[in-house]
Amino acid sequence: MNIFLLSLAIIIVGGTLPLVTCRNMAVAKGLYLGVTLLGCITGLTALFSTSANLLGATWSWSWLHSFSLAFACDALSFFFLMPIFLICPLAVIYSFAYFDKEENSLRTAVSFFCTNVLIVAMALVTVAANILSFALVWEIMSLSSYILVMYNYEKADTRKAGYLYFLFAQAGAMLIFAAFGVAFSHTGSLQFSEFAAIPAEAKLFVFFLAFLGFASKAGVFPLHVWLPHAHPAAPSHISAIMSGVMIKMGIYGILRVYFLLASSDLLIGQVVLVFGMVSGVLGVLYALGKHNLKKLLAYHSVENIGIILIGAGLGMIGVAKGDVAMAGFGFAGSLLHVFNHSVFKSLLFFGAGAVIKKTGTSHVDELGGLMKRMPITGRTFLIGSVSISGLPPFSGFVSEFLVYFSAFNGLKHNHATLLLIILAIISLTVIGGLASFCFTKVVGVVFLGEPRTDRAAQAGEVSRLLTLPMAILAALCLAIGVFPQSFIHLAFAGFTGLLQIGSVDAAMIDTVGTNLALGSRLFLLIFFTVLLFRKLLYRNKVIAKGPTWGCGFTRGTARMQYTGTSYARSVVSFFRPFAIVRESKVQLVKIFPGKTEFHSRVDDIAEVGMQHGLALPLLTLLGKFRWIQHGKVQLYIGYIILAISVILLVSFI
Amino acid sequence: MESFCTIALAFLLAPLYPGIILKVKALFAGKKGPPLLIKYYTLLKLLHKGSVYSTSTTFVFRLGPLVSCAGAMMILLFFPLGGISPIFSFHGDVIVLFYILGIGRFFTISAALDTASPFEGMGAAREAFFGTLAEASIFAILILFYRMTGALSFSDYFIGAKSISLDGTAGALLLLVIVSLFMVLLTENSRVPVDDPATHLELTMIHEVMILDHSGPDLALIELGSFYKLFFYSAFIFLIVCPFNAAWGLFNLPVFFVGISLVYVAIGLVESGMARFKMNLVPKFVLTSLILVSFAAILTMEFIK
Amino acid sequence: MINMNDIVLVIILLSVLLSLSSNRLMALVKYMAMQGVMVSLLPLLLEQHSRIGSGGLIFFQVMILIKGVLIPGLLYIALKRVVIKREIEPIIGYHASLFAGLIIILVSIFITERLQLSLPQGRELLLTTAITTMSAGFFLMMSRRKAITQVIGYLMLENGIYLVGTALTKHAHTIYIVEFGVLLDVLVGVMIMGIILNNINHTFDDIDTDHLNRLKD
Repeated sequence: MNIFLLSLAIIIVGGTLPLVTCRNMAVAKGLYLGVTLLGCITGLTALFSTSANLLGATWSWSWLHSFSLAFACDALSFFFLMPIFLICPLAVIYSFAYFDKEENSLRTAVSFFCTNVLIVAMALVTVAANILSFALVWEIMSLSSYILVMYNYEKADTRKAGYLYFLFAQAGAMLIFAAFGVAFSHTGSLQFSEFAAIPAEAKLFVFFLAFLGFASKAGVFPLHVWLPHAHPAAPSHISAIMSGVMIKMGIYGILRVYFLLASSDLLIGQVVLVFGMVSGVLGVLYALGKHNLKKLLAYHSVENIGIILIGAGLGMIGVAKGDVAMAGFGFAGSLLHVFNHSVFKSLLFFGAGAVIKKTGTSHVDELGGLMKRMPITGRTFLIGSVSISGLPPFSGFVSEFLVYFSAFNGLKHNHATLLLIILAIISLTVIGGLASFCFTKVVGVVFLGEPRTDRAAQAGEVSRLLTLPMAILAALCLAIGVFPQSFIHLAFAGFTGLLQIGSVDAAMIDTVGTNLALGSRLFLLIFFTVLLFRKLLYRNKVIAKGPTWGCGFTRGTARMQYTGTSYARSVVSFFRPFAIVRESKVQLVKIFPGKTEFHSRVDDIAEVGMQHGLALPLLTLLGKFRWIQHGKVQLYIGYIILAISVILLVSFI
Repeated sequence: MESFCTIALAFLLAPLYPGIILKVKALFAGKKGPPLLIKYYTLLKLLHKGSVYSTSTTFVFRLGPLVSCAGAMMILLFFPLGGISPIFSFHGDVIVLFYILGIGRFFTISAALDTASPFEGMGAAREAFFGTLAEASIFAILILFYRMTGALSFSDYFIGAKSISLDGTAGALLLLVIVSLFMVLLTENSRVPVDDPATHLELTMIHEVMILDHSGPDLALIELGSFYKLFFYSAFIFLIVCPFNAAWGLFNLPVFFVGISLVYVAIGLVESGMARFKMNLVPKFVLTSLILVSFAAILTMEFIK
Repeated sequence: MINMNDIVLVIILLSVLLSLSSNRLMALVKYMAMQGVMVSLLPLLLEQHSRIGSGGLIFFQVMILIKGVLIPGLLYIALKRVVIKREIEPIIGYHASLFAGLIIILVSIFITERLQLSLPQGRELLLTTAITTMSAGFFLMMSRRKAITQVIGYLMLENGIYLVGTALTKHAHTIYIVEFGVLLDVLVGVMIMGIILNNINHTFDDIDTDHLNRLKD
């Protein structure tokens, strides 16, 4: 624990240094990078060195008997600490080259500081062991990330996004604290470890309150509305941290509360599973409809959170049914997907950041042909895309396979469970298919083909410091895919001792791992054999260059390429009831036609529904009470007295 | 040993069968038709040629044929052709293999988008759309098979202890699977009525338009990959209709390699008798196959309590 | 031994599903012919009916003749006369209809389990199929515009009723009298519909039932 705390202290110091030295930007950045990296490496050592003995360590501190903080590290915390200490330093390296404007030095320093506070807060969230400490670090996490989102605060869009994020973060926190309050009223103790003593019917209530709260942080449909706004507004490495690591804290919360409550009610698993399926399918659907690169990636976070929840839900159903294999593989798939998603999603956000930095636009239909101009970014982005589409031999497939495995194991049950599991498998497949649909769109439209605008044509590769994190993450994606055994074991280790119904047979886990390794290695072997074969075939052959075959049309231009909008149109309109497609066009009508136009937009039903069903009525209703706020200080004091006396009266009666 | 012989034979013979489709279609049209070995001639011709690459393309364009061919070859290594146990097999291989086909599709589509041609983009969008739906049907079939056999690998489906057959428990439901799998076959392999490989207008194509810019050995690899894929789906259907007993040993081989041509004849008959669908009716077609299998999967509740 | 009556039932379900997704009326009629033959074959295959007298045989032959040949034939002629080929713009789209089919079968299974009838061994699927066919018939009548599709929906409904009867009878074939009566009703209905269709077609050049709305009041 000591090394762990030391690492957090170093990270905080690393964050404060640039605040002090912000007059000289180069020094500040250098110091920041060095010290923060040192802190994160210390953190990783604390995790993996045996002498540090982090697992099972506890630490508490109390003040005046009423305010006590307690921290403890168990297997689940351990697992969630890994992405924090792995992704954050890479994001820090990335930010070194990403913030290269001198004039914003103070703002950059504040951003650096908040980044480190966020890292520390996230690390503490995973080890918090009582209600107070959890609430404290949870709020610090939300607030620091809010400030990070507001980096470009002079833009109206950013302010709006930040406001939305703040709203959802606080509403979610309120629900979480309400859940803790209910739990406290039953146990009378602040300790998390007492949660299991709550009566069964209250457990459901506590779980669902907490679930809603954590879901708004994790970006579960329909509480994901802030995500697609906040990510495009924030700088890219912040998006990477938020999407790759921070929203996983919501998942951590759900799993933590579930394991603490130790409830084996079937309903919990079913609800989580349904939320997972809906988020997964609709997340990827809206991602297809979006054409802003970072917005699209944000919707993919919703999708992946959906997959994670499908895994978790299957695990919970497995627990309720007493099916060890189903429960184990479900939770393992869910946890491994948490890790995988943090790897490939931050990789993709880094790539998107590099593209935006070089071209100045994030609209996919204004890009194109970047693979030739940004070779490393393009290649790593391609690897990230294949991983997120869940295709072997890359990382995403391993975790999706575990989830599938759990689901198929659950098919032997009957009735409602069977139906839900059939639906879960079909939606996993549809998610996988649509995800690869969406990423062929991104890769094809942004990186392949010809540049659609001059800005895209003039782009060049970004600096080494930006490509280095991407290269590391891309290598990790491939490594997880080709050597899945140890990572699968890691995922199973993430909930050792937490599963009430026993643990999965170790031999079975090994078999699954070796089988997956066989699959991906065999594929690579065949691939390289075919590659060799192709090389032989092309020996002494004439290879010519020429223009693309225009199907008889001789004057093709880059603007005539298939755009992302048209690529996704057919499938989005297939799901029409769930995706509101708005199209406006000006067509050719007269003999001398004017300029034609075509706009299309895909709206999110959750956003539209929340706006019309909740926000607007609430605004109208609350508008009626505007007269209370009139600006006279004396009357305000009167309100206060009135409020106090009402409270006193109520408590007396 | 016999596994290796079978797979080698399959790799060698797969290009023969599409010739049967052409022959059937020609006979129905009252023509003589091309020789049965036409596909071998085509492959040889392509292998002898060089290639022309578009200046728009990158390495992704060259990856497309490689990945799709490698994927199609891999799936055959896991399939118990003619009831002879495959070289590789493990619990869960079906999921891996259909995802391997998925990565083939990913790179075929990316290669098409790499050419910067509007037509190829159009084909790519269609392929991705219909492929996604077809994949859902496939997984619904896997669900049904798991309910019937408790297995997740091809060899357990067909030569395992509880192998599937029409006369087993819930065997009647396999009728739905056969119909639906045939629909998936037509979709995944771009056959009439989903796609017409023989049409001459790029706007109306799906698969053919995506590979317009490939030439020479690259095109040969794509063709080879598609032959293997078609062979795999045909073998899948054939083994459901006519299960083999592993005990018969090598005697199975001739029966299998002759019998599988019936599936190709059926494809030829469908192609001769049907016109291709309008593009907006294709999703309905694929969806029907999904619903059919889901029907069957739900009905297993009746049989397997 | 392959379980023949299961196969027949699955073919019936197949025809139900295909007719939900079919937009060509000619194909619909063909599916109905297939369904009719299968439905009337079914009682022959059930074990309890293995001993059939000559009367029974004649009865089933008549049944196949009416369900599989006569009614589809009449529909076929009606279609030829009115020159309509496909259902355009159904009230509920084809994709939605397919999913509705899925929901119908789920509900049917649920109802079958809830009824808890003491069915003979192996008849559960029969009852499920019967209820599915009935409800799909209703659904078809509800969701399509053309009069001829509605007649087909009605036919499907009748097939379903016949199947329910088959599922519940255990002994003699005399019980089929009721179904036979229903069948004759349907036959007459189809004939009348054919004549009416023909007349409507002559008068209005259109057989869209939406135009019947104008007859209200």
